[in-house]
Amino acid sequence: MNELELIEKAQLGDKKALSELVKNYEQTVYNFSFKICRDKDKAEHTMQETFMSMVKNIKQFSGKSKLSTWLYTVVSNHCLMLARSSRKHDYAASLDDDDVLIDEKSVADWSVTPDKVTENNELKIILDEAIQKLPADYRIVFLLRDVEGLSTEETGKIVELSIPAVKSRLHRARAFLRNELNQKLKYETA
Amino acid sequence: MKQHKTINCKEVMSHICDNLGEDLDSPRCVAIKSHLDECESCQTYFKSVDNTIQFYKKYNVKLSDEAHTRLIDYLGLNDE
Ligand SMILES: [Zn+2]
Repeated sequence: MNELELIEKAQLGDKKALSELVKNYEQTVYNFSFKICRDKDKAEHTMQETFMSMVKNIKQFSGKSKLSTWLYTVVSNHCLMLARSSRKHDYAASLDDDDVLIDEKSVADWSVTPDKVTENNELKIILDEAIQKLPADYRIVFLLRDVEGLSTEETGKIVELSIPAVKSRLHRARAFLRNELNQKLKYETA
Repeated sequence: MKQHKTINCKEVMSHICDNLGEDLDSPRCVAIKSHLDECESCQTYFKSVDNTIQFYKKYNVKLSDEAHTRLIDYLGLNDE
């Protein structure tokens, strides 16, 4: 059964079809939620709320956009809402300052390569901490576009930003994260 | 055709992040490409930007069976 057929059945109240849809997307939604929250409990909670919203609103789903896009939107909005209610960090200052953002003097090779991520817990902490310094809207754009591989257009739709605005946030998020990681991972030349 | 001589590393670094692949034939892009071909520092910079993306791509978490069960329960989708 393809996705549209599953959705149609689910819209008629077929629980099996709904479970099937949940199963098809739970890993993606959980992983994406984790990448935003950097916390497994929060990620699970976000995933639960996201699918609850899907179950409640599946009748309104028109099929014009992809179900995955719709789910990404719910996760992103949930996260933005949480971020707005806590609003604790204010690292955003350097994001608007090209002089700080592009640090052309500190260029070095790094001591770890990306394939080491799965086995290196210290590295995971560095990655978690760096991305948590980014304001939520920058983080989401970076994750959707660069990590999940969505198009600029799709990303713009999800976060309700114009294409130039998406590009600008992406550019700044990349440079910011690169600087953060560079401080931790570059080879120290004594 | 001295244009690209006036481009410095910083300009190159700020540009490419903005998405390589757009109007690649523009004089500015051509200048940037030729700078990049010869500049080790810029190459290292972009390698680190690329690695940054790869780090976050490869850092994934797996949904446990327990969390799956809790989800299905929460949604009221368990059989019977
Ligand atoms: Zn250079």
